[in-house]
Amino acid sequence: MTEEIKNSNWKLRKGQIIAAKQMTATEKWFDIKLEDGDLDHEPGQFVQVELYGIGEAPISVCSSPTKRGSFELTVRSAGRLTRHMHSMGKGDWLGIRGPFGKPFPVKLMTGNDLLFVAGGLGIAPLRSLINYVMDNRREFGKVDILLGCKTPTDMLFGDEIAAWQKRLDVNFSCTVDRTAPDWKGNVGLITSLIPGVHINPEKTFGVVVGPPIMYKFVIAELLKKNLPERQIILSLERHMKCGMGKCGHCQIDHPKNYYCCKDGPTFTYEEVKEAKKL
Amino acid sequence: MKKTTKPAAAPAKAPKAAAKPKVAFFDFASCEGCQLQITNLGELLLDVLGAIDVVEFREAISEKWDKDYDVVFIEGSIADHHAEERIKKIRARAKVLIAYGACATIGGVNGMKNSFELDEIRASVYGKDFKLFDSTKTKPVDQVVKVDYYIHGCPVYAPEILEVVKHALRGLPYTVPDNPVCAECKLNENVCMYERGLACLGPWTKAGCNSWCVNNGNICYGCRGEVSNPAKNANDVISKYNLKPELIKAKFDMYNKCKEGAK
Amino acid sequence: MNYHILEKENLDGFIKKLAKKMKVCAPVAKGHNNFAFEEVTSAAEIALNYIPTILPPKKYFMPQREKMLDFDISEGKPKDTATLEAPETAIFGVHTCDLAGIQCLNMVFSERPRDYNYLLRKEKMFIIGLECMAYCDGSASCALVGNHFPNGGYDLFFTDLGEKFIIHVNTQKGEEFVESIGLPKATAADMAALDKAREAKKAAFQNEIGVDAKKLPEIFAKAMESKVWHDVGARCVSCGNCTNVCPTCYCFDMADNVNLDMKTGTRNRTWDSCQFETFAAVAGGENFREERAHRQRHRLYRKFKYPLDKFYRSFCTGCGRCTRTCMAKINLKDTLKALAAEHK
Repeated sequence: MTEEIKNSNWKLRKGQIIAAKQMTATEKWFDIKLEDGDLDHEPGQFVQVELYGIGEAPISVCSSPTKRGSFELTVRSAGRLTRHMHSMGKGDWLGIRGPFGKPFPVKLMTGNDLLFVAGGLGIAPLRSLINYVMDNRREFGKVDILLGCKTPTDMLFGDEIAAWQKRLDVNFSCTVDRTAPDWKGNVGLITSLIPGVHINPEKTFGVVVGPPIMYKFVIAELLKKNLPERQIILSLERHMKCGMGKCGHCQIDHPKNYYCCKDGPTFTYEEVKEAKKL
Repeated sequence: MKKTTKPAAAPAKAPKAAAKPKVAFFDFASCEGCQLQITNLGELLLDVLGAIDVVEFREAISEKWDKDYDVVFIEGSIADHHAEERIKKIRARAKVLIAYGACATIGGVNGMKNSFELDEIRASVYGKDFKLFDSTKTKPVDQVVKVDYYIHGCPVYAPEILEVVKHALRGLPYTVPDNPVCAECKLNENVCMYERGLACLGPWTKAGCNSWCVNNGNICYGCRGEVSNPAKNANDVISKYNLKPELIKAKFDMYNKCKEGAK
Repeated sequence: MNYHILEKENLDGFIKKLAKKMKVCAPVAKGHNNFAFEEVTSAAEIALNYIPTILPPKKYFMPQREKMLDFDISEGKPKDTATLEAPETAIFGVHTCDLAGIQCLNMVFSERPRDYNYLLRKEKMFIIGLECMAYCDGSASCALVGNHFPNGGYDLFFTDLGEKFIIHVNTQKGEEFVESIGLPKATAADMAALDKAREAKKAAFQNEIGVDAKKLPEIFAKAMESKVWHDVGARCVSCGNCTNVCPTCYCFDMADNVNLDMKTGTRNRTWDSCQFETFAAVAGGENFREERAHRQRHRLYRKFKYPLDKFYRSFCTGCGRCTRTCMAKINLKDTLKALAAEHK
């Protein structure tokens, strides 16, 4: 009788950490291989990570589906589970449910210019899309990446960012809230970078991922550039416990009754602008 | 309304206890009834003893350990200068400190002492030579030294002892539920004490005891301490039941008087 | 399907025969005008004239605490086994409000992705409804949402005709049982008595808030910023009583539990409540529903707004439990009336 349950979305696939690296004081990167094949996700989706005996937490996949064989997570030590996960490394096993959630609208974006705006850990989910775009670069128009973080040492994926900076087919800018002695880049809020970007509102998608506080200000800047609301894509944060639109924790206070885990986490600004909190 | 900006469930990372840890029990101002709860674990006690190495436990063994402790259980509140010095010394030798029982976690009934002028209460207990007897205001353990784990209750609730021990052995933080006792009481489908015409402290008291008292026909006495963001308007809460708010306040003071002394 | 007759004096035989086949649960008096569904083996234990139980029958469909998984981490690679406890159970004496509640939950859990723990357990249930001939008390608002009459959701449905019950048989499973115990078919006179009783009910049960239920979605659509939420929030204890007792609240939490051997353990799901302070908090520290006012608002939007858009029905069944259980006198009917008054 439990066959149905076993094969339902409660099923825990077994994954093994094949590589792990401490990225900053609070973020650790993991490369995970599932024993039963690829994760088969799309950019912007998340998984539920189960550490047996500790519990489960939703983590966005930071690798592109174009990377096969394994998938990557960047985990900030914030709660009980993630703190414990930081003590794990190569060879350790965990349970994976998912992928869950509505991905970024990659197909709609095809042929358009892309403006990526990432704040802090927002680069992690966005990286799944950025790397996807890089791997399919000719399908898209102009690509701008704006990245903001607290200090230069908080920057994630430094090597990749250095590579993006060198690419001729990508415009990359970065800013930090607080500078450091060897920092030569911009200092200030990420919103200060937006006026400098040339945006063709007819054919640009702005993809914004960052902490809740960032959305309001970045969106205001994008609207000033006449970017239509439905071309502003966000990825919202909530505590997604079941991933199936049932447990209730991730529901957004919005007339449309969105469950972040199922109707999101990616939304157009048009869809969620009535939300009480982004 | 109070702004709670604390993360949902993230107490500071607790230090991890060793594999077969050296465990000691110490008692301060208390009835030692919570230590008896350990011996009341019955069969489970054998499992617990399989996982730990008890080096000091006055209720069951007499032995003096002179090395450091992996885990210490502190029962009782700190009620004189000598106790303050002693708990500081124990803390210095303990990797993990567990405040065990209401006296240790919130001051408990010993806190009622704080309702009086100290000298007045000393005189009434020790007579005219009261100055010869050391005494301070009652403090829960965490008003003197750092506490890693809390096991609330008067007495402690056996399943929670096991939960905390398991968390401590794995080096995981244990989060005491911060919802009112009602949250669990309702799941147990008890008839609400207020419906019976009794003033119960469940609506203000931290859950985690599985509404043990109410399951057994008693009211909640508030022995686990107040939730961090309690209902402010006791008046409204009980107006439905013709009970006076002063009654609730007086009942609450039985276990929670030390709250006022918190830093 | 058919109507059958059970003389009241034979109710005990009915329950005993049923109890031979499966576990039978029915409302039992707990004192102080409180009732609870509990396992029974005879009619004498059953409180036929009861007001809604402390917890609704949802506890049999999604238990308060439910084991989902056994796991073993003694070797490097974890092993796990899905578990399900689902005994054949008859629930006797379910009022129409609670039948509606079960129907709501059925919709939620059969929506994809499906929750098989719920669905498989549901298949084991034999549901016997019992009609209310008068209001249970002033907290109920079943007429407002149209749940004072049966709208399906049962195998058998009992209506009290004085000396006897008339039983509506709604399923094959129900038919097989009443035939197996040889209950006679209802006569034309019985049917006329049923019609008469129902007619009397129509007069007794009237919209409890004086506001057309069809108006509620519109009222809620504009009530997001209402000050009513702040009045309600100022009183709220955040104890979660209102959601725990609600027949259509189904939010849950998941947690792992390790045994003392530190090698084996279980994953469990427990009822959770949107009224708890940390319900919508995330690990990073943000709390998306920090104010009690907003949590109370959320609760009622999940009854009167969101499910109407999604499932075309109210998830308030009118049972009145949230009002009855609230220590702070938060009263559903008053809240609805206040919202309606503000809307004008």
